[in-house]
Amino acid sequence: MEIKDLKTLIKLVTDTDITEFEMENAEEKILIKRGPDKEFVHVAAPQMMAPPAVAAPAAPAQPAPAASGTADAPAAQDDKYETINSPIVGTFYRKPSPDADPFTKEGAIVEKGQTICLVEAMKLFNEIEAEFKCKIVEILKEDASPVEFGDPLFLVEPL
Amino acid sequence: MPHNDARQQILRLFMARQGAFISGAELSRELGVSRAAVWKQIESLRALGYRIEAARSHGYRLQSSPDRLSAEDLSARLQTRIVGRELVCFEETDSTNLQALRLGEQGASEGTVLVAESQRGGKGRLGRHWLSPSGVNLYTSIILRPRIPPWDAPQLTFLSAVAVARAVQQVCGLPARVKWPNDILINGRKVAGLLNELSAETDAVHFVVLGIGLNINMRADQIPASLRYPATSLAIELERPLPRAEVACAVYRQLDDLYRLYLNEGFDPIRLAWEACFDLVGEKVRVESGERTLTGIVQGIDTDGALLVGSAGTVERILAGDVVPVG
Repeated sequence: MEIKDLKTLIKLVTDTDITEFEMENAEEKILIKRGPDKEFVHVAAPQMMAPPAVAAPAAPAQPAPAASGTADAPAAQDDKYETINSPIVGTFYRKPSPDADPFTKEGAIVEKGQTICLVEAMKLFNEIEAEFKCKIVEILKEDASPVEFGDPLFLVEPL
Repeated sequence: MPHNDARQQILRLFMARQGAFISGAELSRELGVSRAAVWKQIESLRALGYRIEAARSHGYRLQSSPDRLSAEDLSARLQTRIVGRELVCFEETDSTNLQALRLGEQGASEGTVLVAESQRGGKGRLGRHWLSPSGVNLYTSIILRPRIPPWDAPQLTFLSAVAVARAVQQVCGLPARVKWPNDILINGRKVAGLLNELSAETDAVHFVVLGIGLNINMRADQIPASLRYPATSLAIELERPLPRAEVACAVYRQLDDLYRLYLNEGFDPIRLAWEACFDLVGEKVRVESGERTLTGIVQGIDTDGALLVGSAGTVERILAGDVVPVG
């Protein structure tokens, strides 16, 4: 398969909810797997085609957009928990202002649509809301600390 | 035709004439109503504070407008494509950003502009208050619905900063500069503050609210000495008051132009325009970010807009914080 076709294929897969895609024919076998924290492409090709195939994994250098947001908890976590992740790079705030009460705390039950924190990037404030009713199991970041895109902010138990 | 639409149309015709007369017959033809009905609308405009001269055999002409930010006045002036397609004006409100967030949730369309004569709870960064006395400044919020991922939304911070700086330069000829990321300064004093808010899900922006507070006619005695950053107004700098609707429309037109540029060509031209209004490169600054304070030399901004500050041999990318020039 040409690299350009492989790129198109990766794009097609990442535009959907498919987490694993496998294709095999006489010449090659392609496996695309996606998860919350990683994305990789494995291409097994006959020896003859080795040079182009080696270059292929370079295509998905960026994490796919679908890898962010409310994703499954890391594998090590219990299945009943999920994480709420940061949709942008910025500064995480647990409180609307430095001397106010926090939006929520560990052990609290939050309703769908309730604001649970703020993330600020370059004076754009994003109020992060719970996308479902849940219990806050653990707050994973300190107040006013920097967060990366896709960083888990809260460990929650959906209710 | 509802009264305010008819009034808006009359204002638009007056403004197109730039102070010249327009006959009652022509107004009546343009509006498709009787000359008596035109006279009634003229009277209602006068009651709102518009000074309209009537002269036999010449017709009517607009001599002056009240210094008010009304939907009919603003929409008569605006010829924008996106920004200002809907206008919502308040005599007083809690905060135009809060109202915009509410309207946005209810599905308000892209380009909706909210504007208030005064705010009870003008919002600043991190729960700070934005000074909002009545009838002197511009307090406005704009709802946009760009089809961009949430991680690109901070780019709009730079867009609104450029729009305000350019509008100030255009209307007053004053040297408006930006302080990272988006305060607007004149001679080192803050004349405008911008606060943007994002409503998004994982990989899609629902809408962005661009909040703008621009000090136009505020007097020196209306500015408390206790502000975090020294403040000023356009009138203080120019030593004369300005028609607020004109300033507001200049801001909306700049926003409209820049937003369409952004949709067509992406962030690069916006970043370059912002850099042209930024003169802290090479200057020493203090950045207060959460618990942390960093002092260093500004190197510029990164391709995504992050501030680059050189300190102790390394360059730090700053994404949030208060930047204060020192020394």
